[in-house]
Amino acid sequence: MRKSLILPVLGLAILTICVFFSLLSNNEEDNKKNIDLPLMMFDTPGFYDMKTLNQKMLDDVYIINFFASWCKPCLAEHPLLMELQSKGMQIIGVNFRDDEDNFVEWINEHGNPFFHIIRDDGSIAYEMGLIGVPETFFIEKSKIQKKVQGPLFYEDIEKYL
Amino acid sequence: MISLLGNFSFYLTLFFIVIFYLGWGKKILLKDQILLNLIYIFGIAPFLFLVIGFTISDFSILNVIQNSYINDPLFFKITSAWGSHEGSILLWLFLINFFGIIFLKSNNNLQIHKQIIFISSLFVLYLLLSSNPFVYVENSSEIVGLGLNPILQHILFVIHPPTLFLGYIGLIIPFVLASHILVTKDFSQNLYKQMLFWSKISWFFLTFGIVLGSYWAYSELGWGGWWFWDPVENISLIPWLLNTALIHSLQVSIKNDQLKLWSLNLALYSFIAAVFGTFLVRSNLIVSVHSFATDPLRGLFLIVIIAYLFFVTIKLNIKSVIHFNQDTFSLVSKESFLLLNNIFFIAAALTVFIGTVYPLFSELFFQSSVSIGAPYYNFAFNILMSPIILLMAFAPQISWDKNKNKKNKFLITILIAGCISIIAFLYSSNFYFALSIFIASPIIIQSLFLIFKEFKKDIRFYSQWLAHLSIAIFIIAAVYTEQFDQEENFVFEKNGSSQIVMSNGNSIYLKNIKDTSFINYQEILVELLIMNDETEYLLFPSKNIYQPSGQVTNEVSTVNQWLHQYYATISSIESDRVAINLVYKPMINLLWISTIMLVFSIFLSIIKKR
Amino acid sequence: MKILRNIYKLFFIFFFILFTNISLGNVNQLTDYYKTIRCLVCEGQSIQESDTEFAINLKEQIQEKYNSGMELNQINQELIKIYGEEISFNPSNDHFVLWGLPLFLLIIILFLVKDKYRKN
Repeated sequence: MRKSLILPVLGLAILTICVFFSLLSNNEEDNKKNIDLPLMMFDTPGFYDMKTLNQKMLDDVYIINFFASWCKPCLAEHPLLMELQSKGMQIIGVNFRDDEDNFVEWINEHGNPFFHIIRDDGSIAYEMGLIGVPETFFIEKSKIQKKVQGPLFYEDIEKYL
Repeated sequence: MISLLGNFSFYLTLFFIVIFYLGWGKKILLKDQILLNLIYIFGIAPFLFLVIGFTISDFSILNVIQNSYINDPLFFKITSAWGSHEGSILLWLFLINFFGIIFLKSNNNLQIHKQIIFISSLFVLYLLLSSNPFVYVENSSEIVGLGLNPILQHILFVIHPPTLFLGYIGLIIPFVLASHILVTKDFSQNLYKQMLFWSKISWFFLTFGIVLGSYWAYSELGWGGWWFWDPVENISLIPWLLNTALIHSLQVSIKNDQLKLWSLNLALYSFIAAVFGTFLVRSNLIVSVHSFATDPLRGLFLIVIIAYLFFVTIKLNIKSVIHFNQDTFSLVSKESFLLLNNIFFIAAALTVFIGTVYPLFSELFFQSSVSIGAPYYNFAFNILMSPIILLMAFAPQISWDKNKNKKNKFLITILIAGCISIIAFLYSSNFYFALSIFIASPIIIQSLFLIFKEFKKDIRFYSQWLAHLSIAIFIIAAVYTEQFDQEENFVFEKNGSSQIVMSNGNSIYLKNIKDTSFINYQEILVELLIMNDETEYLLFPSKNIYQPSGQVTNEVSTVNQWLHQYYATISSIESDRVAINLVYKPMINLLWISTIMLVFSIFLSIIKKR
Repeated sequence: MKILRNIYKLFFIFFFILFTNISLGNVNQLTDYYKTIRCLVCEGQSIQESDTEFAINLKEQIQEKYNSGMELNQINQELIKIYGEEISFNPSNDHFVLWGLPLFLLIIILFLVKDKYRKN
């Protein structure tokens, strides 16, 4: 075979692969990471009750929600969190890199869906691999079952209601 | 009305292309030459119609609504024409036909133009079937348009994409010429010379376009960077590398009739690289700051065009078997060095290409999403380019066939370079900088030798001299500015001092904060003063809030200190504090000067008498 | 050709050592390190260049750990474990195709053209 044919044939092969890949690829939520819950969460006292969490206090299924007063999508998903709380779901709120006054005002103004709130300077977020607020982790039996990046939509919480 | 005219033009150009292909020109009483002119004119027209549509804010065209705002300044209204995916593909079509019609004046070979119009027809189909900018909307007086993305409202944005596209599409002429040569087996020097001329034209625009893009990123993005190995930057670099190799390879082909298949293939691949790159960033395969919001199907559509180009290349290479004699060179000769040049440039282009697409493959085959950025490219690209930079110092002086020049001059140059780089290391304690001096200074030293030795009046000599010299200066300036730049953050409290002492002892003052309203944006401007000894430097970074989208942009402010620059942006501005980010970029102006020198040198090489 | 090959090998070794380990340039190691960490909510930028909360938080956390004595190497490994491989712009050495590529390409091409050189 002529040497000068190597490149164009290779090029076509790459092209074909690109085609197949773009047809096959879908933006599925990658659940490959099964991180253990950071111990920090259990060491940090809650903002209102000053108590630390205990595994016994938690149901089998609960939710960890990262939020901030400066975050608009957090406000958008807030009603859903309230609804979950009204159905008895335990939601731990982690207030991410927020000003204390602003955060308190936000809770007072919009309502508190959380049974326990922890204030985070970013280290808990770091340990959990947070991409950005809002982000919600659905925990079942001490393992992260599902992670939702961005505001929650009805489909995400359907099964928990 | 304009939508109608635009679509009608598409159909007309297709109609005439079909007539031309079927040879039915005589049936409608049109000579082939006139047919070609008609095809090109109706390929050029749609874009002009779109521009008119934007100019008069014709909101019966969907594309105008999506990319323009009734209160946008007229200048930016016009340039919004190529701000969207559809508009930019239409610009492609415009340029293909524009080059076609100009090329027709110098070369009216019907076979060659058949290829051009075929490629043009593929783009027309692409536009009609998936990216038509002329979608008609019932006009209502309430529509004011969604506005041009504020980041794009900048003079550089106006020039940068069209310039780059001129470079990309300019490569179509070498492509069709190369393919014609391989098909007809007509290896006359004249055709090679035409190829060289047109590749220089596209090389000029490509280089200029890349420099503009780089300068735009520098002045807009806010942290003093000018090259990010972003996929879109890479896909403009690849055709540029191949184009550079092509021009050098053609010298050998024209002078000695050697490296012919190399030159021809380089011509074919340069254009393929340009089209492939365009496809890559419009599909959803690559994530980049340049991403167009577009669905993957549009990217796939472009694959048809690229596949066609590859098939042509394969077919031509198969057919080219018997007609090329095996070149042989002496080890140290200009041909041999230029062959090495080809090899290194092609390897570099392949490396950048593979770095850009590797994340896709990694995800597909290894299920791991790897990120490839500056660390990788700095390693791979610099390794490949360094030897060629060294060679660049000496290659122009090496004679054809077998080198007759003395070796002493080369050794002296290397020695001087070594001494200077050691001094540089001792003075700066920076290894990378010293290394860059060692690699790039031979070119500067040789250039100085040449100028003092003989004063030629040959423009061609000067264009080459200037081009190589500017690359050397560029490398030194680039490494220097990246190694020695400094960044600092300052926070001015409302009731605090308006003066802060910088880490180098100078002081920075907050002079004023101004809030001004313009026709389509609101500007919050911060006035800063830096006192360096007795000299004052003023900076005016701002945050702009645009209508109707509410989008906020950070405007950079720079001030010069000879070859260096201070570079300021507002990190955050609240009612009680202002946070400023200040970057000091030494030698950055030398970098830009060297790029201007390079572009000018290419210009010189084109204007010489053919 | 031989001379060139030798000079070239020398360069390769130089660059390889430099870029993989030794920091003989900029004084600020942390800033250099930030440039190798990708901002996951941006489009291809590093956390050094980005202003997003994600980037700022990461910079702060890394700085804290660095100040408390953790090695950059350890920090890097931890980051990859938490965020995945894509957080680092330095592909791991498992991707040897990438790292070996430049030299490999050159050798292949040079091999393909060796016939062009006539023996004197």
